[in-house]
Amino acid sequence: MERKLSEYIIESKKVNSSDFGSKIKIALLGSFTLDGLNETIKVKCSELKVGCDTFYGGYNRYNEEILNSKSKLYSFSPDVCFLILDTRNILGDLFYYPYNLSVDKRREFIQNKINELINLIKSFKEKSNSKLVISNFIIPTYSPYGIFETKTDYGLQEMVFDLNHKLNNICRDENSIYVYDINGFISKHGDENVFDFQQYFFGDVKISLSHIPILANDLLGYIKPTLGLNKKCIVLDLDNTLWGGIVGEDGFNKIKLGPQPPGNTYVEFQKYLLSLHERGIILAVNSKNNLDDAIEVIKNHPNMILRENHFGCLKINWNDKVTNLKEIAQELNIGLDSIVFIDDDPVNRDFVRETLPEVLTIELPKDPSLYVSTLTELNDFHVIKITEEDKQRGKMYTQQRMRVESEKNSTSFEEYLKQLNIKIHIKKADEFTIPRISQLTLKTNQFNLTTKRYQEEDIKNFSQDKKKIVGCARIEDKFGDNGITSVFIVKKDNEEEWIIDTFLLSCRVIGRGVEEGILDYIINEARKNNVKRIIGNFIPTKKNKPSESFLPNFGFEKENEHWIYDLEKYSKKPSHLLLLNE
Amino acid sequence: MSNKLYSIIAKIMDVSESDVTDESGPETIANWTSFNSYVLLYQLESEFNVKFTIDEAVDVKIVADIKRHLKNHGVNFNE
Repeated sequence: MERKLSEYIIESKKVNSSDFGSKIKIALLGSFTLDGLNETIKVKCSELKVGCDTFYGGYNRYNEEILNSKSKLYSFSPDVCFLILDTRNILGDLFYYPYNLSVDKRREFIQNKINELINLIKSFKEKSNSKLVISNFIIPTYSPYGIFETKTDYGLQEMVFDLNHKLNNICRDENSIYVYDINGFISKHGDENVFDFQQYFFGDVKISLSHIPILANDLLGYIKPTLGLNKKCIVLDLDNTLWGGIVGEDGFNKIKLGPQPPGNTYVEFQKYLLSLHERGIILAVNSKNNLDDAIEVIKNHPNMILRENHFGCLKINWNDKVTNLKEIAQELNIGLDSIVFIDDDPVNRDFVRETLPEVLTIELPKDPSLYVSTLTELNDFHVIKITEEDKQRGKMYTQQRMRVESEKNSTSFEEYLKQLNIKIHIKKADEFTIPRISQLTLKTNQFNLTTKRYQEEDIKNFSQDKKKIVGCARIEDKFGDNGITSVFIVKKDNEEEWIIDTFLLSCRVIGRGVEEGILDYIINEARKNNVKRIIGNFIPTKKNKPSESFLPNFGFEKENEHWIYDLEKYSKKPSHLLLLNE
Repeated sequence: MSNKLYSIIAKIMDVSESDVTDESGPETIANWTSFNSYVLLYQLESEFNVKFTIDEAVDVKIVADIKRHLKNHGVNFNE
């Protein structure tokens, strides 16, 4: 249940954005009053332990703010800028009298508006590195032509539809520009609920006060992934969550899962989960059950949508939910704070919420027909970009499970590593790898020496800088391709000393010598350039303990705050790796 | 009911309840911006289960005006 705007306004006065380590700057620009939105966003950020500074561009001043390089917007220097425009404002009197213009003039009018938007976007991109999120336009439900509207060539509704279509087209390939589908927001919540005539006439409030917090929630969907706060994994209970009933008591044939209600609610829920899995969300099971009973359903029930190969980890046992969750996080090598936990039992949920507050425990409604909407309400799975690696991730975690099983069967760890046939493909940043490189810097927490977060524009700039090496590595082994899972950025400002600005490895590939192999590559490059020393840094965070001893173990020595590697020294690449420079 | 009204006003305008009188308004309370006054009216509509007309909303200058309109909607302040 969303809280009232007044509660956010009251709460926002108590929030001090300097109380938090993580920070973000949000600018709000609009063609109408956006009061209340900044207070709500501020409070919602504070609940994520993020200090949010907001800039509100004032009533209908977005053109000046964006076009003037000396504007307050640019001196505020936002991380994310929201530009919320509205149809009435952009159409002016055409909103009421569109048919005073001929069809051709109407087309020309819309093209002019798009040209204005292209100009705004261009100006914004030149002056700022911030992301820009532009709302599309709400398609009017009213037409002076009434039922004849849909018979009219390029009528009022089609004009706005075309405007939205063109807006999508101009933003699609712009990495830092996003279109927020506010028209979809209206479809979902209803024009009559979101637009309140009294509030509009009284204060030019075009999003009613009751819906400002709901709109803010949608906007948070852009803020969370910018901060790397998106969730990576859904951990699911089985009985009364993925199917109705209890398999241990009701039996394989009696659980509710199939075309008839209520079994169809579970089938639908599983379909949504599968759709998330297919775009890169890891699924795992945490269930108190007899392993054989549960696996039998997962493997052989004719109406199961999710099968064993969709789960990165299966904990089906009689341990408590918290122990299992911790093990799942460990086995998948992800933080507990990237996990969403879904369980129908309120006692389990309370226990997890209390013991592991960093896990997002969903308040699942009692009625399974509401499971799907509970899942689709979450704004925690959004990512700035869906890369090829994301789409493959689900499969990669299944391969990972097979690796672990193979490790158990090997006589020694060295033996196991050798038979993995690991290949490291080193690549320089280019237009294909830049999105993934940025994504890894934004979300890698554990094996990350400096945890510097870089947006795509930053990586693009670095890659064109002759004083920097921006590289990544694709890791392959006999079980499959892990994709690009490592990033390094080296600064070459000083000819004798190179500085490792960023060195990170996705947790999927830690502990197989890959990190040493990549560092060895950097050292060899440095030698070729007659560099004397390499300087590394370890900036501790709450999460990067796994990379703490990497530099000293490799042979770096501490000098003041830095770790130094003297290139006179001999370094060795682990012998089980094949390093390929592409 | 006066107390309930004052307490809602105090919370939204971020002042202490003792600072709210029937004469309070934008002149005496710094946070009484036009936007906060919509938020206040919207909140009062839900707390007292009433719906103001736009004439009433425009007419509100000070707390006494709010009381008058609430009374017209049947809210009783003579406790």
